[in-house]
Amino acid sequence: MMNIKITGPQIQLQNVCLSYGEHGAQILGPITHTLAAGQCHVVMGPNGGGKTSLLRSMLGLTPFTGRIHLDWPNGRGRVAYVPQKASFEPSLPLTVMDFMLLNQSQIPLFWRRKAKTIKRIKDQLGVLGMVEKAERKMGRLSGGEQQRVLFAQALLDAPDLIMLDEPANGMDEQGISLIEFLIKELVTKGATVVAVHHDLNAIKRIAHQVHVINKTLLTSGSVDQVLPKAQPTDFVSLCQLSQHQSNHQIRAMA
Amino acid sequence: MIQSIRDGAAYAAEQGWLSESFSYGFLINALLAALILGPILGGLGTLVIAKRLAFFSEAVGHGALTGIALGILLGEPVQSPLVGLFTFCMVFALLLHFVRSRTQVPYDTLVGVFLALALAVGAAMLTFVARKVNVHILENVLFGSILTVTDQDLWLLLISCVVILACLLPTFNRILLSSISPDIAKVRGVPATFFDYLFVIMITLITIAAVKMIGAVLVGALLLIPGATARLFTPNMSSFVRWSAVLATVSCLLGTWLPMELKLPVPSGAAIIMVSATFFLIACLYQIIFKERGSAV
Repeated sequence: MMNIKITGPQIQLQNVCLSYGEHGAQILGPITHTLAAGQCHVVMGPNGGGKTSLLRSMLGLTPFTGRIHLDWPNGRGRVAYVPQKASFEPSLPLTVMDFMLLNQSQIPLFWRRKAKTIKRIKDQLGVLGMVEKAERKMGRLSGGEQQRVLFAQALLDAPDLIMLDEPANGMDEQGISLIEFLIKELVTKGATVVAVHHDLNAIKRIAHQVHVINKTLLTSGSVDQVLPKAQPTDFVSLCQLSQHQSNHQIRAMA
Repeated sequence: MIQSIRDGAAYAAEQGWLSESFSYGFLINALLAALILGPILGGLGTLVIAKRLAFFSEAVGHGALTGIALGILLGEPVQSPLVGLFTFCMVFALLLHFVRSRTQVPYDTLVGVFLALALAVGAAMLTFVARKVNVHILENVLFGSILTVTDQDLWLLLISCVVILACLLPTFNRILLSSISPDIAKVRGVPATFFDYLFVIMITLITIAAVKMIGAVLVGALLLIPGATARLFTPNMSSFVRWSAVLATVSCLLGTWLPMELKLPVPSGAAIIMVSATFFLIACLYQIIFKERGSAV
């Protein structure tokens, strides 16, 4: 077995709750759970179940109550994020290269560019099959192409923790395979990956741990535990089943 | 230094190398102000467009009207009520941005309310101010005048622009990233809220600095039009910023010089905006023709 040096953090959630507004309705939680370091975790569940909100809370983008602690093995590492989508104004002359430079350099875009930085960006775009579209405007790319660029920006700093919100959104099969390959590669390098995903077959291919969420954590475990072959692959049924299992567990514990 | 530039221009005009209008010191002052202002207005304008804050800069410009009235009423010199102008514009812009970040009111609605309020208060105050000072002086403040730019104003303008440039150059990318993808920016450790306020302060500073040349009513337009023009034909952000700066500078220079040269009784602010808008119309025409050809191929 390969000896992997884990660089990604363990993520500890303690009584994490999310609400709309100060005294608004609770939309998620309380969740107390731990996501192991150096693994690919997939968060799944129905629309409006709170997956994206949980992911954003882990990144500090959405306020929450409770505690989220990132336990880094070797001091704080690099964090990257691929949002579900980004809205790029089609008329703004922001090219793929410009967008990548914004994420990589503090030298103003209209100043001279460092050849070394350009090379690194082109290499990364090459991995995602986007190097030939480096001078295309972001707003004129298709959804799948934008998603590739967003993924490329996330990989620029060789992240130790990467959060992906539906990374395969709008992608063709080739793109999905590429993203899955890159996710697996990140895990083999020791990074922690947390992804929101809907495709059960894709989840089976990439995930170590699956966490089913619908307002609260319904069930969690390895792919084989949560998505056994005999169980339905239909998403809604899975959530209902997870809710049913969860109720049984709660009754058993009581 | 400014005097030697004026002397040089006067000598060149005397020798017939330059037009006669260059022998007037106030024109040279105004042209120098245009040279300093243009690149900053153009450069900041690209961020105004990227952040969709066109309406905001307009509102700050109109806020300048109230600031000027307030300054004059509190006893400041009529030609340069800087303290009233600076204080009111800064409070107005920061308050507007603060309310935006703390409420759910759509931004265009909020700016519309603030803009109307600034105009209403400004109009009410100007009624009192008009009893105290000559209406022509107020016209200068509203629409700009090249006659009013003094040596002291030039130095103030230069210092303001250097401060803005010193803030803008190291933060340009992060301000742009925060506006395009605030979430990615925050994850990358960019303090987006701080940069938002910094940008608002820069816009307010340049608005105040440009009021004498362009006037309170039209200054917001010069933050918008050169960038809007450059956006029509530039392929990337680098050329977008450079072209926007060039167009803003050329508009300021031509708008200052042409009325003087052609002896037209047009306020400098109005002339600058008309030149700038002409470039915009030409760029629109270019894009229409270019697109038609592109689709025919």
